[in-house]
Amino acid sequence: MELLNALFVSAPWATLRGGLHIAFLLVALYVLKQVYDLRAALGLRHLARPRAGFRFAVAGVALLFLAVLGYQASWQLSGTARPAFVAFMQLHDRRQFNPAHWIERGSILDHRGEVLAESRAGPTTDGQRLEVRRVYPHGPACAHVLGYTHPRFGTSGMEAAANVSLNGGSPETLLDWGELTRQLVTRDKRARGHDLVLNLDADLQQLAYERLRGRAGAVVMLRPADGAVRVLASSPSFDPNRVDAGLFRGTDPDARLLNRAVDGLYPPGSVFKVVLAAAALDAGLDPVLDCPAEGFTTSRRYPRIRDHDYYAARRAGRTWGGHGRIGLDRALIDSSNVYFAQLGVQLGHEAFHRAGDRFLFNHRIALTEGLSRSQFMRTARIEPIATSDRYGLAQAAIGQGKVLVTPAQMALIAAAVANDGVAMRPRLTTGEPAATLGRFMSDATARRLSGMMRRVVSEGTGRGIDTPELAIAGKTGTAQNPFGASHSWFIGFAPASSGQAAAGLAVAVLVEQGGYGSTTAAPIARDLLLRAQQRGLLP
Amino acid sequence: MSRVARPESLAKRWAGRGPERQLLFWVLVAMTLGFLMLLGAGPKEGYAVRWADLVPLAGLALSFGVAHLLLTLLGFRGDQVLLPVAAFLCGIGLLGQFRMGAFSGNQASLLDVLILPGGVALMLCATLLLMNGRYRLLAPPLWFWALLSVALVALLLVTGQRFRGGVYAAGYVTPTEPLKLTVVLFAAAFIAQHAKALAQWSKPIPFPPLRPLWPLLAFAAVLLGLLLVQRDLGMALILSLTLLALLAAGTGHLGYPIYGALGATLGGWALLSVFSHGQRRVETWLDPFQDPTGAGWQVLQGLSGMYAGGLWGEGFGQARPQYTPIAESDFIYAVIAEELGFAGSALVLVFFVLLIGRLDGIAARARSPFGALVATGIATVLAVQTLLNVGGVTKSIPLTGITLPFISHGGSSLITVFVGLGLALAISDGEPRAGRRQSGRKQSERRPGTGRKGSVSRGSRSKEAAVNNRTSNRSTSRGPRQPAVRKSSDRRTRD
Repeated sequence: MELLNALFVSAPWATLRGGLHIAFLLVALYVLKQVYDLRAALGLRHLARPRAGFRFAVAGVALLFLAVLGYQASWQLSGTARPAFVAFMQLHDRRQFNPAHWIERGSILDHRGEVLAESRAGPTTDGQRLEVRRVYPHGPACAHVLGYTHPRFGTSGMEAAANVSLNGGSPETLLDWGELTRQLVTRDKRARGHDLVLNLDADLQQLAYERLRGRAGAVVMLRPADGAVRVLASSPSFDPNRVDAGLFRGTDPDARLLNRAVDGLYPPGSVFKVVLAAAALDAGLDPVLDCPAEGFTTSRRYPRIRDHDYYAARRAGRTWGGHGRIGLDRALIDSSNVYFAQLGVQLGHEAFHRAGDRFLFNHRIALTEGLSRSQFMRTARIEPIATSDRYGLAQAAIGQGKVLVTPAQMALIAAAVANDGVAMRPRLTTGEPAATLGRFMSDATARRLSGMMRRVVSEGTGRGIDTPELAIAGKTGTAQNPFGASHSWFIGFAPASSGQAAAGLAVAVLVEQGGYGSTTAAPIARDLLLRAQQRGLLP
Repeated sequence: MSRVARPESLAKRWAGRGPERQLLFWVLVAMTLGFLMLLGAGPKEGYAVRWADLVPLAGLALSFGVAHLLLTLLGFRGDQVLLPVAAFLCGIGLLGQFRMGAFSGNQASLLDVLILPGGVALMLCATLLLMNGRYRLLAPPLWFWALLSVALVALLLVTGQRFRGGVYAAGYVTPTEPLKLTVVLFAAAFIAQHAKALAQWSKPIPFPPLRPLWPLLAFAAVLLGLLLVQRDLGMALILSLTLLALLAAGTGHLGYPIYGALGATLGGWALLSVFSHGQRRVETWLDPFQDPTGAGWQVLQGLSGMYAGGLWGEGFGQARPQYTPIAESDFIYAVIAEELGFAGSALVLVFFVLLIGRLDGIAARARSPFGALVATGIATVLAVQTLLNVGGVTKSIPLTGITLPFISHGGSSLITVFVGLGLALAISDGEPRAGRRQSGRKQSERRPGTGRKGSVSRGSRSKEAAVNNRTSNRSTSRGPRQPAVRKSSDRRTRD
C-alpha cells in the first residue's frame, strides 16, 4: 500500500494516469468487441425463435439514446456555439480547468485598431483564482454601440450581436470544424476569441459624446460611399464598466439605455425639407411660389404656417415683409416654411407617401450582418395622412406633425445626397461588404440638392458654422416639440465639392430641446467634421 | 420440450459459461484500472490510500464472481451478457460514488458497502428460485401484485415525509421502487391472460375493447392517481409508458401506443397546468438561462462540468463534479461525462443499449407470453428510466428526478433493478425439460417469430408448440426444427 501511495505521488504518475485513462476506455471497448465476437456463443438458442418486432423496439430505443447523445454533444463538444452557456460558465463555474475560463473574449477595436473593449485577466478579490474582466476604455461614450457584458444582466449591443464570434465562434467553415476537432482531440484549450473591428472612430465618437454631454441627443456620422459608421453616439449614456440595476428600472427618467441615435424618434423640423425638396425635384416640381409674411394655411380653421423670420421680427418688435416670390433654392437656403408647406400640398398625398417609401421610412435597417444577432436602426415613422387632410400634409412637409425620424436616418439621407442619391447600408463592422440600400433620389436631384445645402452653410441659416478650412454642406432644423423646447437639428456632409463628397463624411446631430439648430447642433457637426479633417478622414 | 438439456457434467457447465466468465474478467480489469486512476488522485489531495479503499472493488469482484460461479455450478443455461453488463454499469456507479465520497473516510457505512453484494445476492435468489420455468408461478397471483402495488403507494402516502420535492418513507427509503416490478408482473400476467380479447379493437373506428381492458384501466387510474398525489411524476411516467409497451407487445396492436401517446400528451398538458412544480421544470428546461443561479443552476452546472470534460474527460478523480448539486444520485451521468468525457459517457450508454437489447432479446425468445411480457416490462422500465435520467441531465428533456439504473446512489433503486435482472435471467433460462414430447409437423408454421409482425399473443397461441421445439444442438436459430404437439399437461404449467 505504501508502494501504491508512493507511486501516486511520484512524478511519472501523471503520465501513467493518462495511460490508465486510455486503457480503461480501451478495455471497455474490448468488452464490447468481445460481445460482438462471441455473439454466436451468446445467442439464446435454447429458447424459441425470436418474435419479430422486438428488433424494431430495440432499434427505436437505440435511436433515442443516439438523439440524446447528439444533443449532449451540442453542449459538451460545441458549447462555444451557445453564447449564454459560455457566459454562464465564465461567471459561475468554479472548475478551473473549464476551457470557458480561458477563452479570452476577443477585443472590440475601432477602425484604426484602438481598443474599445477588451478582456483582462486578473486575480479575483479573494486572490483565489484568475478572473477575466471586461474593460471599456471609452466608458459611456461608446456604451450604446458596444453594449455591456454583465453577470446578471447579460449582454447587449455589439457584445451581444457578436457574442459567439468574440468567444471564439461557432464552427462555420470546414476549417473551423477541423480546428474544433483538433482542439477536442488534443485537449487544447481555445485561448482567445476573435477580435471584432468596428468602423467607428474612437476619437470622433469621444468628441461627439463630450459635445453632447449634459444634454440628451445623438450624433451619427457615416461615410457616404460605403456606409461605414464612424460615429454613433447617444447621450445620456451609462458606464458599461459599472452596470447597475438602476439602469434597468423602467422609471429611469433619463432613459440612459435608449440608443437615441437609432431608436429615438423625433420630429425632424426643417431638416426634413431636404427630403421634400428631393421628392419635389424627382417629381419634376420646381415652382416659384409667393411666400408672404402672413404665412400659409389650407383652411381658415387651422393656424397659419409662418416663417421663422416672421417670429424673429415680431419678437424684436419689427415687422417683416415676407420672402415674396422665391424658388426652391432660396426657400431651402432660408428654410422657408411657407414655401415648403405649399410645395407639400402641391406634391400631393400620393407622391409624398411614395417618397416616404423611397426613403425607406417605417423600416428597420440592420447595422451589422453576418453575426449571430443583428443591431438595427429604425428609420422613421410616418403615419398615413388622409387624402382629405391637406393641412396635415402641409405640416408633414415642414417636418412637423405626423413625421418622426431617427438621427441615424437623417444621417443616411445626408449621406445619400453626398453619394449622388444612393444610400449605402450603414455598416458597424469592417468585416461586412458595402451594400446598396436603395436610391433615395436621382443623380441630378442629388447634385442640385448638394449645391443648395452648401449654400445653406455659406449664406443661409447655417452660415454661423461656415469655416474657410472646410466646405460644409448642410441643413439646420429647429423642430417644435409638444413636450417642451424645440429640438435642435443639423444634417450635412463635407467636403461639399462634387466628386469628393462621397468619400467624405455625412453627419446628423440632434440635441433634444436644444433650441435653434444653427446655434446648438450645427457647431457640434462643424467641430466633428473639422476634427475628422485633422485626422485625415476627409479627402 | 427443451431439447437443450441442462448440461450434466461440471466440465460442460464450466465450458458452457465461458463467454460470461471472459466478459466478466475484462469488465473487472476495466474497473480495476478505473479504481487505480481514482485512488491515484487521493494522495495529491492529502489523502493516503488505505487497504479499506479497495473494499468496494473487492465487493464488486466477489459478488459478481460468486454469482457467476453459482450459476455455472447449477447449470444455468440463460443469458451470459446481462451479468457482465450489469457488472460494468455497477462498477461505473461504484467509481462515481467512490469519487463523490460515498465510501471515503470513516463515514463509510456498512450499508453503503453491502448494498451492491446484497443486490447481487437478491438477484441470484430471484434467478435460482424462478429459473427452469418456475417464473410462471408468478403469473397466477396477479391480483396480489396489483394489491401490493397499490398498498406500497398507499403506505408511502401514510408514512412518507417530504424531501427535495418528493415523498420518502422513513430513512429515505423509496418504497415505490418495487412498483416497477410489481406493476410489470401484474400487467404482464393480466395481458397474457386476456391477450386475445385485448387485441379485438372495434373495426370501423379503431377503439380499444373496454370490456377486457377496464380492470387494467382501473388499476392504472388508482395507481397513477396515488402517485400524482405524491407528485411522483417520474414514476408515473415510467409506469404508464411500461403499461403501454406491455399492451403493445402483448397484443401486437399498435393502437395502444398511438392512443397512449395521445392520452399522455393530453394528460401531460393537463397535469402541467395543475402542478406548478412540473411547470417550473418545463420552463427551466426550455430556458435555463432565465434563472441561471436558481432553477437552472443544477442542470447548468452539470452541463458546465460536461463541457469542461470535453471529449476525453479529465480522468477519474481529476475533475470537480462536486460543484454540481446532488451529483451522486440524479446527476451521476454528468459526473461520468465530466470525468470520462463524451467518449466515456457514450460508452456507458452503449452498455445500457446492450442491456436493453439483451432484455428485449430474451422477451423476443421467451416461450411463454407471460415471460416475454415480464422481460419486455423490465426492459421498458430500464429504458425509460435511463432515458429520463440521461435526457434530463443533458437537458434533452425536462428534469424528472429519476435515478440512473445501476449507477446512481440509492439502495432501493439498485435492489429493484437487481431483482428485475434476476427475473430476466430466470426467464432466459428457458423452460423445464419435459421428456414426453413428440413432434408433429402441423404447427410448424405457427411458431412464434415465423409469423408476421410478432406479438406475444400470437406466440401464445402457438406457445405449446414453441415450448416443444427447443433443439438440443441447433447450430443456427433458423434451422429446421421439430414442432411439437399440444399437450394438456403444458397448459397447467401456464398461467
